Amino acid sequence: MSNSKLRMKKILIATVISAVFIGIAVWFLFAQKFEDTKREKSVYTINALDLIKEFQQNDSIANKKYAEKIMTVIGIVTEVESADITVNIKMGDTTNGSYVIFAFQQQNVNDSKTIKEGDKVSIKGSCSGGAYSKILETEFITFKRCALNK
Amino acid sequence: MKKTTLIIALAMVGSALFAQKKTTTSGTINFDATTSLDALPKAENKTVVAALDAKTGAIAFEAIMKSFSFANPMMQEHFNSDKWLDSDKFPTSTFKGKITNFSAVNLKKDGTYPAEVSGDLTIHGITKPVTTTGTVIVNGKTIATTAAFTVKLEDYGITGKSIEAGKVIREPKITIAANF
Repeated sequence: MSNSKLRMKKILIATVISAVFIGIAVWFLFAQKFEDTKREKSVYTINALDLIKEFQQNDSIANKKYAEKIMTVIGIVTEVESADITVNIKMGDTTNGSYVIFAFQQQNVNDSKTIKEGDKVSIKGSCSGGAYSKILETEFITFKRCALNK
Repeated sequence: MKKTTLIIALAMVGSALFAQKKTTTSGTINFDATTSLDALPKAENKTVVAALDAKTGAIAFEAIMKSFSFANPMMQEHFNSDKWLDSDKFPTSTFKGKITNFSAVNLKKDGTYPAEVSGDLTIHGITKPVTTTGTVIVNGKTIATTAAFTVKLEDYGITGKSIEAGKVIREPKITIAANF
């Protein structure tokens, strides 16, 4: 086999191998799903009322600190609210109506149905951030993909 | 005596006005921009603040953009990035409008009522008028509202290679639901 043919063969093999690796990497990125939050580690653990206070003081700073972070929030449940076929759990500041609300991850939805108003619970989830609601005239902080810490 | 009567009357008017504004903090918005090439651009937000004025039919929604939950982490990151919704700069989207045929909806009688909705939708810092149809279902004390419509991403300043390549539909379907 001539040198040029051998070189071509090596280039072809390298190209095919690279394409396979790139394909696997792209497939992995597209097929990837969020971990079960139960297995994730909390970056912060905080009391619900303290979290609300922090957002009320300056929600821009609080959003930069907490948004898209996995957090554990501990507090008293002030409301269990229906959201389509599931329920959301709320911990609110009864003095001004501000609240934190938790939407549960699909595989952990059944845990949310065991929670009752007045329960002291610890919930882990991904903080979506907070904003001032012009409708409610209060601060609201939302969490997604939540799980109940037992 | 007159003073006491006046205070009671004012309190009653106040509570009646308050009762007219029904709210929920668990409204839902489904976002579906899937195409035959890509089934990933699909998300749900279950913590939407919504209000319905039971007297006038005025409705309003507020959603935190980062509350949209995707199955795929990369897709969620793209959705919130500065090339798409730029959720750090425009953290919320809102709808303010009215059920224009609200006089045909009897909130005291159980039933399913077709609703015509129009209002202003703000996404990505851009406000555009929206007109659509929906449903109001009255069941005892519960009022369930739903509406579905499409939005042109281009109208809201959202463009990109994924749209050009047909991986994200140009006019995603938005479905809003709230139980009061």
